[in-house]
Amino acid sequence: MQQLINTALGGLTLGMVYAAFALALVLIWRSTHVVNFAQAPMAMVTTFVALEIIDHGHSYWLGFAVALAAGLVLGAVVERVVVRPVEGGPEINAVILTLGLFIVLHALASVVFGNRYRSFPAAFGIRGIDVGGTTIALTGFGIFTILAVLAVMTLLVLLFRFTDLGLRMRAAAFNQEVARLLGVRVGRMLTLGWALAALVGSLSGLLIAGGSLVSPGYMDSVVVYGFVAAVLGGLDSPVGAVVGGLFLGLSLSFVSGYVGSQLVALAALAILMAVLFLRPDGLFAPARERRV
Amino acid sequence: MNTRTRKLAVLTSVLALTALAGACGAGGKDDDDKGGGGGATEVGVTDAAVTIGGTFPLTGVAAPGYSEIPTGAQAYFDYVNANGGVHGRSIEFLVKDDGYDPTKTSSLTDELVLKDKVFATLGSLGTPTHNAVVDSLNDQEVPDLFVSSGALAWGDDPGAHPWTFGWQPDYEIEGKIIGQWVSENMPDAKVGLFLQDDDFGEDAEKGVREYIDAQVVEAQRYTSGNTDVGPQIAALQASGADLVLSFTTPSYTALGQLVSLKLGFKPQWYVSNVGSDPTLVGGLLERFSEGAVPGTASSLNGVMTTRYIPGVDQPDNPWVQLWQKVWDESGQDGELTNYRIYGMSFAYTFVQALEAAGEDLTRDGLVEAIEDDGGDFAGPQLAPYRYSSDSHLGISGMQVVELQDGVGQPVTDVLTTDIGDSEIATDDSGQADDAPPESGLPE
Repeated sequence: MQQLINTALGGLTLGMVYAAFALALVLIWRSTHVVNFAQAPMAMVTTFVALEIIDHGHSYWLGFAVALAAGLVLGAVVERVVVRPVEGGPEINAVILTLGLFIVLHALASVVFGNRYRSFPAAFGIRGIDVGGTTIALTGFGIFTILAVLAVMTLLVLLFRFTDLGLRMRAAAFNQEVARLLGVRVGRMLTLGWALAALVGSLSGLLIAGGSLVSPGYMDSVVVYGFVAAVLGGLDSPVGAVVGGLFLGLSLSFVSGYVGSQLVALAALAILMAVLFLRPDGLFAPARERRV
Repeated sequence: MNTRTRKLAVLTSVLALTALAGACGAGGKDDDDKGGGGGATEVGVTDAAVTIGGTFPLTGVAAPGYSEIPTGAQAYFDYVNANGGVHGRSIEFLVKDDGYDPTKTSSLTDELVLKDKVFATLGSLGTPTHNAVVDSLNDQEVPDLFVSSGALAWGDDPGAHPWTFGWQPDYEIEGKIIGQWVSENMPDAKVGLFLQDDDFGEDAEKGVREYIDAQVVEAQRYTSGNTDVGPQIAALQASGADLVLSFTTPSYTALGQLVSLKLGFKPQWYVSNVGSDPTLVGGLLERFSEGAVPGTASSLNGVMTTRYIPGVDQPDNPWVQLWQKVWDESGQDGELTNYRIYGMSFAYTFVQALEAAGEDLTRDGLVEAIEDDGGDFAGPQLAPYRYSSDSHLGISGMQVVELQDGVGQPVTDVLTTDIGDSEIATDDSGQADDAPPESGLPE
């Protein structure tokens, strides 16, 4: 019983991190209709920025805040400098470009921050909470992770559904020409979309790093699982991303605990394929129109 | 919504390819042409120098600690070269970074053998990594010396791999020695095993089960590269194990300790020699939660492990004093660590082998010299080597110790044994009292 609970709680925390990453992907998809493969190394870079600050004796939260701010700036810069030249062409160009960016950032981080594994501190402690004499696998930092991801999800839903800004971002992503005719500053919206997505990405980087080891490659597995989570949720829906992340985190945790840790990656692929067979647009896609 | 589906399809195929590429990483076998054979002069040997090389994880999950091993070996070769080399030849040691990725090990080893034309490989690190190249090295008849791993495959069958030699005690005898100790001293313990999911864990489990099969209540395996070991530790906790034997690399020792803290799981721990360096593991643990894990070396207090060469916790040992001198003279960055001592120790054995092979250095001659004389090599090892024409396994025994503030307190004498049903005995060879020659060079 205790193992069941602890495996589930471990999966829950992990799923929330996948969800955070998936949220960043959803955000960028909704605001630019591009899938950003460089999301993970961008988050890795900002996490290293936080680690450098903490290692120089400053507080955890200063590092945390600076990393988020760095994410915002990095996202905007990447959009303006790297992605802007290929915008307007086929979207696959931008996707391939982000793959290239993935490799470049990886290499740069190895040069700047070194390839060593380093431990990253966690706020709120890393001991499990005591419930009636038994310790359960939920740490203070785990609770923070869950709350932070839920808050981001809510904010995104509010942004896209209830604000003028969100509407303009969606319009810019949906059809640039028409949006422009209607007075939307499309370029600005795209930059904003990238910046916000990178901010959420940085958050996911910080959450998965807390109380674990970081190296230039530490986000690589999150890329795959985060994408799976986002696709499960339909790429369009913040709620879908969180549900997809949770579903994936829990499934993988149970596979690892009860079947074998060597099957984790395979299980993720199996889940992805199963969902795409059954609901090609993801679990949370709106009903399809009939084609005539 | 037609375009949307199409985009999703593109994305999905890219994703599937990524996953597939990852899954394929473990394969990688290569059918090489035979590397340049004998001739008048031996490959990699001139009158002035002998060139050797090895693959090590300088990056990636296995890099903490292990990346320091080649720096130690290099320091000792610098020392030997500064003192005239061996038979007038200096030793050139080429180090390649495989990141603990078997696919990379294959191509880098090919590079060493075919492009750099090394005389032999030395100290190449890792069980899964070296498994990818051991056949090809033997096919090409390249001496493959002192693999930095305790898997049995490096020496239990010289007929299959005549060119490969192990060095450190293999994981099976480590498993046997700790297994016997548990059966005699903790007969009521419920034993959990935390194992790396390859030959490392497998060989160790074999040794442990020879003595305490009935006491083992749970065996959990982690896959190197997946840093989430929560489910494995939760399963060990649920099994009610009160003694966990952990055959892990240093990063996973740290992750295991960390998750146990999270779960409130407090068994007695035994950590395999290769994953128990208190300075390194403590350093990884220390910063996780500002202050929640106590300072560096003491975080592994009470953990049991084994030792087979003297380490930095014994500064008065004459070998450690020699290593300190060698390290200081090499002028490389950083402190002397147990991993650097490990590198120096096998480098010392290699120099002995070169001396024994004589002035006319050939690959055949080197292997013959180790088989003939290796059993009597002096050196820092606490128990003698097992080298002969029947076995290419290295050091024959170790001592169980308990860590206190980073210092290993002896729990047993030096115990020696061999694979299979060979008895465990207290070592009476006096090898552990061996001191280095004045010059620091083997005689």
